[in-house]
Amino acid sequence: MRSEMEATDFQDALDDWFMESMKTYKDLHVYQLEDPTQVLEWTSGKTVCVAGFHPSKNEILQLHLPRKLLADENKGLCAERDFKVVHGGFTDGPVRCLTHVPGTRCIVTNDGLTSDLQVWSVGGDDSDAIKLTGRVKGRSNRRRRSLPGAVCRVAATRSSQVLHGAASGDVRLTELTSGQVLYTLETDSDEPLSSLRFVGDAVFLAGCSNGNVYVADTRTPAPPRLHPPPTSPGDPALWQTEASPGGAVVRLSACGRAVMSDTRSPGGAAGRARLEVPPGGRGQEGGVSWAPALDSCIAVSGFGAAVRIYDTSAWPTEPRDVPPLFEHRGHAVSSQPAAAAVLVTAHVWHPERPRTLLSAASDGSVHLWDWIDGSQ
Amino acid sequence: MIHKLTLQDHATQPHTVRGAGQDVGRSCILVSIGGKNIMLDCGMHMGYNDDRRFPDFSYITQNGRLTEFLDCVIISHFHLDHCGALPFMSEMVGYDGPIYMTHPTKAICPILLEDFRKITVDKKGETNFFTSQMIKDCMKKVVPLNLHQTVQVDDELEIKAYYAGHVLGAAMVHIKVGSESVVYTGDYNMTPDRHLGAAWIDKCRPDLLISESTYATTIRDSKRCRERDFLKKVHESIERGGKVLIPVFALGRAQELCILLETFWERMNLKAPIYFSTGLTEKANHYYKLFITWTNQKIRKTFVQRNMFEFKHIKAFDRSYADNPGPMVVFATPGMLHAGQSLQIFKKWAGNEKNMVIMPGYCVQGTIGHKILNGQRKLEMEGRSTLDVKLQVEYMSFSAHADAKGIMQLIRMAEPRNMLLVHGEAVKMEFLKGKIEQEFSIDCHMPANGETVAVTTNPSVPVDISLNLLKREMALGGPLPDPKKPRTMHGTLIMKENSLKLVSSEQALKELGLNEHQLRFTCRVQLQDPHSDSDTLHRIYTHLKSVLKGYTIQHLPDGTVMVESIVIKVSSCAEDANTKVLLLSWSYQDEDLGSFLSTLLKKGLPSGLC
Repeated sequence: MRSEMEATDFQDALDDWFMESMKTYKDLHVYQLEDPTQVLEWTSGKTVCVAGFHPSKNEILQLHLPRKLLADENKGLCAERDFKVVHGGFTDGPVRCLTHVPGTRCIVTNDGLTSDLQVWSVGGDDSDAIKLTGRVKGRSNRRRRSLPGAVCRVAATRSSQVLHGAASGDVRLTELTSGQVLYTLETDSDEPLSSLRFVGDAVFLAGCSNGNVYVADTRTPAPPRLHPPPTSPGDPALWQTEASPGGAVVRLSACGRAVMSDTRSPGGAAGRARLEVPPGGRGQEGGVSWAPALDSCIAVSGFGAAVRIYDTSAWPTEPRDVPPLFEHRGHAVSSQPAAAAVLVTAHVWHPERPRTLLSAASDGSVHLWDWIDGSQ
Repeated sequence: MIHKLTLQDHATQPHTVRGAGQDVGRSCILVSIGGKNIMLDCGMHMGYNDDRRFPDFSYITQNGRLTEFLDCVIISHFHLDHCGALPFMSEMVGYDGPIYMTHPTKAICPILLEDFRKITVDKKGETNFFTSQMIKDCMKKVVPLNLHQTVQVDDELEIKAYYAGHVLGAAMVHIKVGSESVVYTGDYNMTPDRHLGAAWIDKCRPDLLISESTYATTIRDSKRCRERDFLKKVHESIERGGKVLIPVFALGRAQELCILLETFWERMNLKAPIYFSTGLTEKANHYYKLFITWTNQKIRKTFVQRNMFEFKHIKAFDRSYADNPGPMVVFATPGMLHAGQSLQIFKKWAGNEKNMVIMPGYCVQGTIGHKILNGQRKLEMEGRSTLDVKLQVEYMSFSAHADAKGIMQLIRMAEPRNMLLVHGEAVKMEFLKGKIEQEFSIDCHMPANGETVAVTTNPSVPVDISLNLLKREMALGGPLPDPKKPRTMHGTLIMKENSLKLVSSEQALKELGLNEHQLRFTCRVQLQDPHSDSDTLHRIYTHLKSVLKGYTIQHLPDGTVMVESIVIKVSSCAEDANTKVLLLSWSYQDEDLGSFLSTLLKKGLPSGLC
């Protein structure tokens, strides 16, 4: 009797959320993968890769977005709302990081167990297979501190070079075809990285978990510029750091403190905020990302089952509670009440569509949503 | 044993015209199993206007009629891409054998076929097409199927239908010839929706499971999101004072959408009227009464409590209401806007951009529905008049299909030994094949159009074993046999008509009325030995005991030595007491040992034996 009531309550809450969503989302698609993913990587404006993270066998899939979402003209005449699995492959370990090499059919993955990267070719030859074509050596297997989430970060260039490393001490630029190491980041520290991003053709930002940001140029042997975090007494010591393509930096701590620095001074604090953290705090997955097509907006996940959008341009210099511009609660609402608490494992902005995001959760759900900016 | 499975003319080609993207295809599969030929579905390819829309039956036989060649035809459900070419096949090409389909399919098929015929012949002026009479004649050949009921097509071929979900009356079919079987899924759905249940099959372990590959490569958007889209569109239109027309076929989606709207109206406290044309109500009620077992639990409960169409917010339509001002929603037939009430309403409302028409399914070429879904905004009507289409046109697909997860669930349920995915894509589906092969350790075949697939099966041959033989084997002791460690046993296999029996040799001889013959060998070996006969015998005994360890050797009081069942006697030669003659005698079963003994004893006895 009780479980029947719970089931009805659950259905009602779900219905409520869907009703409400008609006003708050332009588009909403809800999918269920067979296995949850920690990675969401665009391989084009229409295709995205996901992969499992079981300790042993996993699948890597390349999915094509539903035609209905992509049809701008005559959208009403298109009925197709499903993802199409266009390519697939198998891997023996978990996939903790997946990066597409722009302009190619190539993707690069890391299993979080070593610093090595696996190189894959997606399709080609009229086949739907994703095949392993090579490996890139990371730092050699000397004893490393076993750090939680010591995953490799990878950034790829159009000329088939990958910048990779799990810590600031082992960042290197490797040419994929030859395996040759073209550049290494010279630094004494060995902090785990939370992000690695190119802000120009050769200039990149490496964000560390202690809040340090290194800015370097792969073309010069000159040492990187170091920007420590603009901390105040009482500030936490662990940060998720993310750079926008324009060079702005946001640092987010596990307890929800956020500091935004603009491009001109990655060490300064242009704005501070206190973001909502649900009880239970932060999970390991998720993170913070800048919107590629919206000024100053970031999306934050990893705090429970929601994805929240914030506008950093409104952040004051003294930290204050800042409400999100938008909150996507879909994963929380649609997870079964009896199941374990669901966590968002990954989220990503669409590269061109300003308000379209993809988010994935620990229960295998993947949501594709286009939110409506209520403030406008 | 090899099945020959020929895929005939199945093509799934997206026919995208100006943004509409109505995916069309056709199903028609020919299976040869155990010497029987079965046609699975007989669909029309809706994307073509010429002969390419019919399957090419010359593939099967050059000399016209198919009756001799086919043992039966099975139709999975009433969608035209599965049954659209049936009257053509049975009446124009020629087939007089049985056509199997479920009761709902039998009731609905002729209606859709007739509509389709009218549109194609009357509206498009086609000539090479089947007539109304042909549809009737074709349906006379139909033998209806009940779920889970085994039907003997002939002495060797039997079929059984399983619930497939998807649409009313859709079935998956299990075909068995002797010990070989095939399951064809047709179109199916693994998640229940508001008016149909989910597909179900038992662990029938067919040699081959045949399904569409499109299922395995899609990840379906949730049903709620589709519904949300529908409600959002209706609401937007109503909010701006527009009228919404939803052309439907009498069954299936109409109920689903009504239930949805009713719930939404209640929740949002909306006042705009919703109408349902009466013709629809009558037909729908009629069908539901007939086929109540085919819907899901919820509908059945509701039906028992009240009339299907007693909704709080949905009322019967009168055609005068179409001219009423203000917002409203109307469900009207027919579904493709090709005639009747829905077309009349459409003509009235098309000119106002506040209005909307929502097409909930595929429309056949030649219909207004098809034209507007292809983006046409100016329509030529009777009497040379043109109609400007200003209202909003929305295409929504509510049809329930399984997806990648669903196909894996189905394979898990049925446990086939081989998998066959029918696909029309040019791309080699290596990943998909690999995924199924790895997960289930079965072969997965993915032939292209017109390709023949040979599937090897390991049929199990059932043999009855006589109780006596079984008891005898058990009495031998030792561990009980298990599938991983089979034990050899001896018996005689008797094949009588179609049954096989394993019995002991004695019983076999008795049953066959044969006499048992025993073969015994005797051999005389000469030996030089100065001892007495009995001493010589004893010496032989000692010698054999030392050589043949592990064998049963006895020295019997009657003056013989026995090695297993071999008898050895000693006697002296009449002329010379020192020349002994050994008589060895053994039966056929002990031939090896017997030969060994005679060779051994010919060598004489070693000295030093006491």
